[in-house]
Amino acid sequence: MQAEAIEYIRFGVISPDSIKKVSVAKLTVPDTYNEDGYPIDGGLLDQRLGVIDPGLVCKTCGARAKTCPGHFGHIELVRPVVHSEFAKTIYMILQATCLECHRILMDDERIEEMRKSLAEESESEEAQHGPQQKRIRNVKKCPHCEAPTAKIKLSSPTYFTADERRMKPDEIRDILAKISSDDLRLINIDPTITRPEWMVLSYLLAPPSSVRPSITLESGERSEDDLTHKLVDIMRINQRLDQNINAGAPQIIIDDLWELLQYHVTAYFNNETSGIPPARHRSGRALKTLAQRLKGKEGRFRYNLSGKRVNYSARTVISVDPYINIDEVGVPQEIAEKLTVPFYVTTWNLEYAKDLLSRTSYPMVLNIISRDGKRKRIIDTNKDEVLKGVVAGDILEKQLVDGDMVLFNRQPSLHRISIMAHKAKVLPGKTFRINYCTTAPYNADFDGDEMNLHVPQTLEAQAEARYLMLVPYQIFSPRDGSAIITNSEDGITGMYNLTKETTYLTNAEASYLLGICGIYELPKQGKAGMYSGRDVFSMILPKGLGYEQQTAHGPFRIKNGRLAEGLITKETYGRDNGLFVKIAMDYGYEELKDFIYISSKLADAYVTLCGTTVGVKEYSIDKKLEDERSIIITETFSKVSKLIDDYRNKKLEPLIGYTLKESLERIIISELNAARSHAGDVLARHEDETNSAVEMAKSGSRGSILNLEQMSMFLGQQATLSGGRIKRGYYSNRLLPHIAPNNIGPAARGFIVTSYYSGLSPVDLFMHAVGSRGSEVYKALLTGRSGYLYRRLSNALQDYYVRDDKSVRDVNNNIIQTVYGGDTISPIYTQFAKLSKE
Amino acid sequence: MNEKKREAISEFDVHSGEPVGIIAAQSIGEPGTQMILRTFHYAGIEATIATSGLPRIVELVDARKRPATPITYVYLDSEARKSLEKAESVAKRINEVRMNGLVRRAIENFSKGTVKLILDMQAAEAVELTAAQIAQKLAKATGYEASVEGGSILIRLHTNNMKEIRSASVRLMKKVIQGIEGAGKAIIQQDKSGTFYIIAAGSNVSEIIKLDGVDKSRLYTNDVFAMYNLFGIEAARNTLVNELKKTLKEQKINVDERHLAVVADAMTYAGDIKGIGRHGLSGQKISVFAKAAYEETVKHLVNAATFGEIDHMRGVTENILVGKQIPLGTGSVKLAIKRSGSKKVESEKKQDKPQ
Repeated sequence: MQAEAIEYIRFGVISPDSIKKVSVAKLTVPDTYNEDGYPIDGGLLDQRLGVIDPGLVCKTCGARAKTCPGHFGHIELVRPVVHSEFAKTIYMILQATCLECHRILMDDERIEEMRKSLAEESESEEAQHGPQQKRIRNVKKCPHCEAPTAKIKLSSPTYFTADERRMKPDEIRDILAKISSDDLRLINIDPTITRPEWMVLSYLLAPPSSVRPSITLESGERSEDDLTHKLVDIMRINQRLDQNINAGAPQIIIDDLWELLQYHVTAYFNNETSGIPPARHRSGRALKTLAQRLKGKEGRFRYNLSGKRVNYSARTVISVDPYINIDEVGVPQEIAEKLTVPFYVTTWNLEYAKDLLSRTSYPMVLNIISRDGKRKRIIDTNKDEVLKGVVAGDILEKQLVDGDMVLFNRQPSLHRISIMAHKAKVLPGKTFRINYCTTAPYNADFDGDEMNLHVPQTLEAQAEARYLMLVPYQIFSPRDGSAIITNSEDGITGMYNLTKETTYLTNAEASYLLGICGIYELPKQGKAGMYSGRDVFSMILPKGLGYEQQTAHGPFRIKNGRLAEGLITKETYGRDNGLFVKIAMDYGYEELKDFIYISSKLADAYVTLCGTTVGVKEYSIDKKLEDERSIIITETFSKVSKLIDDYRNKKLEPLIGYTLKESLERIIISELNAARSHAGDVLARHEDETNSAVEMAKSGSRGSILNLEQMSMFLGQQATLSGGRIKRGYYSNRLLPHIAPNNIGPAARGFIVTSYYSGLSPVDLFMHAVGSRGSEVYKALLTGRSGYLYRRLSNALQDYYVRDDKSVRDVNNNIIQTVYGGDTISPIYTQFAKLSKE
Repeated sequence: MNEKKREAISEFDVHSGEPVGIIAAQSIGEPGTQMILRTFHYAGIEATIATSGLPRIVELVDARKRPATPITYVYLDSEARKSLEKAESVAKRINEVRMNGLVRRAIENFSKGTVKLILDMQAAEAVELTAAQIAQKLAKATGYEASVEGGSILIRLHTNNMKEIRSASVRLMKKVIQGIEGAGKAIIQQDKSGTFYIIAAGSNVSEIIKLDGVDKSRLYTNDVFAMYNLFGIEAARNTLVNELKKTLKEQKINVDERHLAVVADAMTYAGDIKGIGRHGLSGQKISVFAKAAYEETVKHLVNAATFGEIDHMRGVTENILVGKQIPLGTGSVKLAIKRSGSKKVESEKKQDKPQ
């Protein structure tokens, strides 16, 4: 439900008259409570400003602490002071006007010109939005009264001089008051909203006590808010200044006090104003005054207004459950009993509502919200009474049950699929359960991650969750249209093994596997009464599906719902596959979701059945590979040392555009990288799929040949932050004292010839640590930068949306793109569009 | 199995109301953080950290006037692209040679008022210049008297003022002797089909395009502003898309081009190039609240008060601040009711009529 719509909000400077009008009390006593712990009349927590103690009644509105909104008071300053935040504006205005005749320092011709251009601007919408006045400066003589202009200076924060003579705030105020309204309009100031003399304060608005509540400590001692402290300071000085003036104290003393008053007021508005020492608390902590309350990450705007706290939410640790569907979320019983979903009572469901109300165990009604908006907790003693009184229009808050729509979220919420709608599934235990196929969009794992759950409270919100945010609709990423919700790792291995041509299953095995998938029929029998793995897999494919794809493992073909040829790998069943697109396009998201779920169960069952593991065995290499490894290393070393010799004899051919030295370095690096990729090739050729690490790499389920190679062959070149070889560390350009001076060979510059399997030598370990440290530093450096980039991007682009004519506009109706993306096609559907054309 | 809804998907358009701006920002911002986290898994190996990557994206999106590494791709016309000789002659006219690249040492004589430039003959040879040629070009460019003395050039300044001599010698060293100022070092490259083209480490395309032998229709630089100044705003927009795409591709991050286009169009739709952020798009927003909630809160509020600004509460931030629905997505839809008997259609809110 929406409150009264705000049409617009206009900003302005408050006038002294307005201050007096909104103020309910003139504050005169620079103190808060008296000895009895009672608010002092005319003090800073005067009861007319609203009450914060539970027992008291507000003297202005008669309401109690919880309902009284608070009321403003005011302080009369005996001498005016400059509002420090407006000092720059005052400076600008003083420079632009004549101190004698108070006219603007523009000749009539220019005034006319400005008027015209302002009139034009005000017709277009942009006009109201911001200061467009050009500064008027360095005018020698007033064009109206011919008087020479004074040189105005502002030394921050609030000290003004005219021709080296101090301008006191009262003088400034009087000058500003004499500027005509017409002249103000010329510098884009609307005199009906903002008069410049209001920027010099004679009255100070004191915020209600509810804005600066005092807290009672356990010891019974009262602790005041920072704002109250500052206001006390202001009033004390104000009082002393008053006394001194009345007593006829010397001007110096008065001026000193005046300046002190100015300081306190400045600190009250912004305690980080440059040029003043920040006001401190007794403990030495700088006070948080008005500006500090608003700005920054922890300020009112970003902390409380852009981000809000909510009810109807829960948070706990997450854990895996491969036996719940990907659009479900397991909710602990304990949480389901606390969270509620509204049930709207109508004349048609009144009987059902009464049944609900009369329940005494788990799915029961916790609260009832009657039509006047009052919420009542249902307890044993009032149950009968409520049951009698329930009528259409009441809202029952009933406990969360299976199938309720909930939003599930993991922070940081970097993209929109960090929040998705799931169907609740109430389970025993204390953790949220999710299917592991949905971890990718959340970037979640189960090492202690916690996630949040929200229950949408209106029918509109529930409908949006169900039809826009539900997991099946998020399978394809809006970033590039790839499938982000998919099976992975062991799941891929399972399907890979199952769909191998050589895989045949016994009747018992096939029945077991399909039974897990909820399929109670068997495929056609193959040879010797066995069932081929492909046929078993085909049972979970949608009926009549047809799909073809070329892969690195040869063609992949599904004909009429049967896997005819090819293997399930990451290529055919993973992020960038077309299979999902085809299923979604022909059968819809709901079918695709179930396919992902059932295939993940099948894969898990099979991989559990036949087992897969990696151990030290996978990374040990035999004599033959060991020899190959040594050959690669010795060959590379001799090649590099020849390059170095050539370089020293000036026989090296420099690369175009590089000096000889740079060329040498580049050639060496490429030579060393070639050695590593060569070793990878050798390894890949030598090892077959009896090595399950190789199998994993080939099916794309986890790891790569590179990982394998680093573990069993050699680690290769370690890089520095700048991407080059490591070259410093010890003096005279050596890395370590173990390395001879002027050795620029592979081993001297961070090329590691040992593997994780063989173990690293101390020198190698050091080199490796250098590389690792580098990437850690880099990571830390870039996380901050990328977070800021993201914040800026989303802030700049947040107002853009697609209109019904498929143009991209901002909320002010400016056209950013006439046709979204040039073809109106959504990034989610790019693969769909491609496939449908074929 | 229970009956499933089978809904074939045949509509590939973006949905009306879709907040494509936010989605574009997320598509670029999210992998930005992921890309970093992934390096963790490969401890140290070949983390080839080039000037590209995130710093490059920041540079593009900020609309920096000068990129850290400007590069110009000069393709050649049908004749020059086939002959190394002709390509070399174009490259020579582009290749920026400054005095300080040719001089080994400059000796200032304050009593005589001369500057003696000892030439690095090897460097001079590399750009095919003799001492006499250098002296002549220098004299022409500066108006000073220059004479050759063996392997060096003597400049007579006719003054004894130390400050003048020093500043003259500094100026001398910066003089461009050959090639195009701001074009940088030019290198000839050959592609797979054997055609020659030139890569220059600068971005003075407005001068390079004037040269003979250059294929003017294909001249390209990664400097967005240089492209803007020479070819106009559409070219700048396309350059932005190209460069963002290239940078992300290098990082093996797949982002749909449409997202990059939204960013590029947002930066250029007004006819000039605006950066993202405080001094660009975000800072020039109309809404006071949107600006205050972003950065420099106090400054924006004070300005708004001074100039009596009005916030029409149309944007996303403003509406979130006051707890209203945002005007995008399902929030962009309004209801209109025609009551029975009434001829008028009443719309939910009259606010939805931007002029």
